[in-house]
Amino acid sequence: MPSQQAQLAEDHLFRDYDTGSFFDEMFAAPGQPRPHYATIFQELGAMAPTQFQELRQLADFSFLLQGITFTVYSDGQGTERLFPFDLVPRIVPHSEWRHIQRGLEQRVRALNLFLQDVYGPQRILKDRVVPRPLIYSCRHFCRQMIGVDVPRGIYTHIAGIDLVRDSRTGQYLVLEDNVRTPSGISYVLENRQVMTRTLPRAFQLHNVLPVDHYPAELCQILRRLSPRGGDRPVMVLLTPGIHNSAYFEHTFLAQQMGIELVEGRDLVVDCDIVYMKTIHGLTRVDVIYRRIDDDFLDPLAFRPDSILGIPGLMGAYRAGNVALANAVGNGVADDKAIYAYVPAFIRYYLAEEPVLSNVDTYLCARPDDLAYVLEHLPELVVKAVGESGGYGMLIGPAATQAAIADFRERLRANPRNYIAQPVIALSRCPSHDPRTGRMAGRHIDLRPYCLFDGEQVTIVPGGLTRVALQPGSLVVNSSQGGGSKDTWVLGSDA
Amino acid sequence: MMLSRIADSLFWMARYMERAEDTARILDVNYHMMIEQPPHAYRLRWDPLVAITGEQERFSAHYQQATPRNVLEFLAFSPRNPSSIVQCITSVRENARTIRDRISRELWENINGLYHSVTRYNAEEEIAVGPHRFCNAVKFGAHSFHGVADDTLPHDEGWNFLQAGRALERAEMTARIVDVEYHKLVDSSASGDAAGNHQWMAVLKSVAAYEFYRRQYHAGIEPARVAELLVLHAQLPRSIRFNIATVQRSLRAISGSIPGAYADEAERLTGKLHESLMYDRMEDIFAQGLHAFLADVQKSCRSIGEHIARTYFYYAVVQ
Repeated sequence: MPSQQAQLAEDHLFRDYDTGSFFDEMFAAPGQPRPHYATIFQELGAMAPTQFQELRQLADFSFLLQGITFTVYSDGQGTERLFPFDLVPRIVPHSEWRHIQRGLEQRVRALNLFLQDVYGPQRILKDRVVPRPLIYSCRHFCRQMIGVDVPRGIYTHIAGIDLVRDSRTGQYLVLEDNVRTPSGISYVLENRQVMTRTLPRAFQLHNVLPVDHYPAELCQILRRLSPRGGDRPVMVLLTPGIHNSAYFEHTFLAQQMGIELVEGRDLVVDCDIVYMKTIHGLTRVDVIYRRIDDDFLDPLAFRPDSILGIPGLMGAYRAGNVALANAVGNGVADDKAIYAYVPAFIRYYLAEEPVLSNVDTYLCARPDDLAYVLEHLPELVVKAVGESGGYGMLIGPAATQAAIADFRERLRANPRNYIAQPVIALSRCPSHDPRTGRMAGRHIDLRPYCLFDGEQVTIVPGGLTRVALQPGSLVVNSSQGGGSKDTWVLGSDA
Repeated sequence: MMLSRIADSLFWMARYMERAEDTARILDVNYHMMIEQPPHAYRLRWDPLVAITGEQERFSAHYQQATPRNVLEFLAFSPRNPSSIVQCITSVRENARTIRDRISRELWENINGLYHSVTRYNAEEEIAVGPHRFCNAVKFGAHSFHGVADDTLPHDEGWNFLQAGRALERAEMTARIVDVEYHKLVDSSASGDAAGNHQWMAVLKSVAAYEFYRRQYHAGIEPARVAELLVLHAQLPRSIRFNIATVQRSLRAISGSIPGAYADEAERLTGKLHESLMYDRMEDIFAQGLHAFLADVQKSCRSIGEHIARTYFYYAVVQ
């Protein structure tokens, strides 16, 4: 479109931009923005690189001042870092979002039905849709939860489902489900705030759907879980504490919902009732939005060495005197081997075809799959089934001989613990490269946050777009050098 | 409804902020008094500063001599001194981080901004140019902290813990300042000579009471009067009495007990100390010995702190 080209600054941000061989979110072809990106392309293109650099510093400073940081442990000392924020938004047209939304709603319902079933009548095992050994060998399958009546039958109150767009087909695929304690929503809300302050004009020119109702929606779901009923149940957010990498998010959500942020040492259980220690004595607690893993919740039921948890909590939960969100034992549903069966869950429980497809997955627990994977390690991505956050992964094409040899040993020693997938060429979105001061294509994914109240699935439009800021990198996790972008779901298609 | 842990953090957040401010004040004033003096006065003047903060042992573990440079580094910047200004501000921020859902966004950003600013100073550079720039930034930071806290937090129980922590720390610090300075000056030189006079002016300035003293007494600097002002004055915001009154008021607001009664041991000790600060005269105190009196005040302050913790933060849960 020549009219747009003419308005570019002389030395503009998109000079030398290379769409490469990937699906580019902004450009249909070099220099040709897709309709829903046309306006932002004009806005940014008219800007001098130095001007953009100043805006970037402004945004970074705002994150620093607010202390929006996360903690990295890989360097051995746990340092606080800013979560890099890229100012180029990721834009999703309305119809595309409707499609994603339908797919996610369906998936969340199926996952919840699966959890009800697997901890209840186990029909799906009896009907041999999923092999029983696969369930019972899952590290996160929680025997203590069998037969427990969870409040309102809800397991997956909050689900973060990771989507990627495959460059070959341009289609969205589900990469993984997170139904234990998915994190990142605070960045969605903070990114939006910083974005509207930093690029107010560009934002105003788009009809972007709001996201800031998330805490209110979540609070509403938590309130309805209270076993005592009543208008003002005592709700708390249970955090492992200041050293947890998502601590900022815990404080943020507690503050936004107006509920108490507690640590394990703030709670005690007496006669199957949970109390918190206040300056005027003990106060009964009704609902716990816990951001502590199952293993650490209750040293009497799970890991006896946990000092983060509350002795007796599981007893109170099983007695129905306190509600937990998410439910205990959800890890069996987001195990990466079970993931391969989610399309089957959708067909089995809902009698529907999946709207969003899975990535092809080889289960190393199956001898044929294992043989194939061992043959093709340099071409595949291998993941440990119970890990998250980008840990315990091998990216074949980028791995050293030694790393591949190491994984080969691990796969042989414990095949059930691994799955493998073909490398997906993730779509790219223009992102600012501070080294060149220009835009460069970087791989992205999308994690929408789905809230489930037992009947409705509510999804705030968009979610967290994570971006692999290292050139060529496919790993978007913050712990591995990833950053994030604001995600704009438009109220219309362009 | 206030969690014990949150009350604990608010209380200590205020204490650390007060400690940082007091240390900055003492350093700033003494440094500038010192540079007007001949060099042989160093030893006399810099040892006591460490004594005021109660960190003599730690200091001598790391330094040979109490030179201005060493004292400055130790009290302002050293990561090896948990009471150094930078470490205190770090502790303020750590406490604030654990309760940032309970404090206002403005207060959090104020604390976080102060932390990033004090940790950015280069110790050697500041030592070279003198501590004024740094100390002033800390003082302003503390004032701004209290202003933002007063203006953005609800004046509820949490705010009362903040007030109690600040006042208790300040009462104890003033007691130490008077104790150390009085002791040293009365022992080493006749009161009223030029050096002593100079030193007492420093004391008054470090608690922001110099102009007030001048207006009050229209006279030369008399150690006994300085002591009276800093110990017994009812309106001076850094006097011991003023601060113990604040502790008492805050604790009563938290427990709801009425004047004349007390709800717990912390309140009883505070009330008892406040009575003596209200009704004792300076003559009575000198008769019993100022040092002994101030030692008692410090002991009571520590005891009050322990009982506040036992009553509100770490009470045993009976099951």
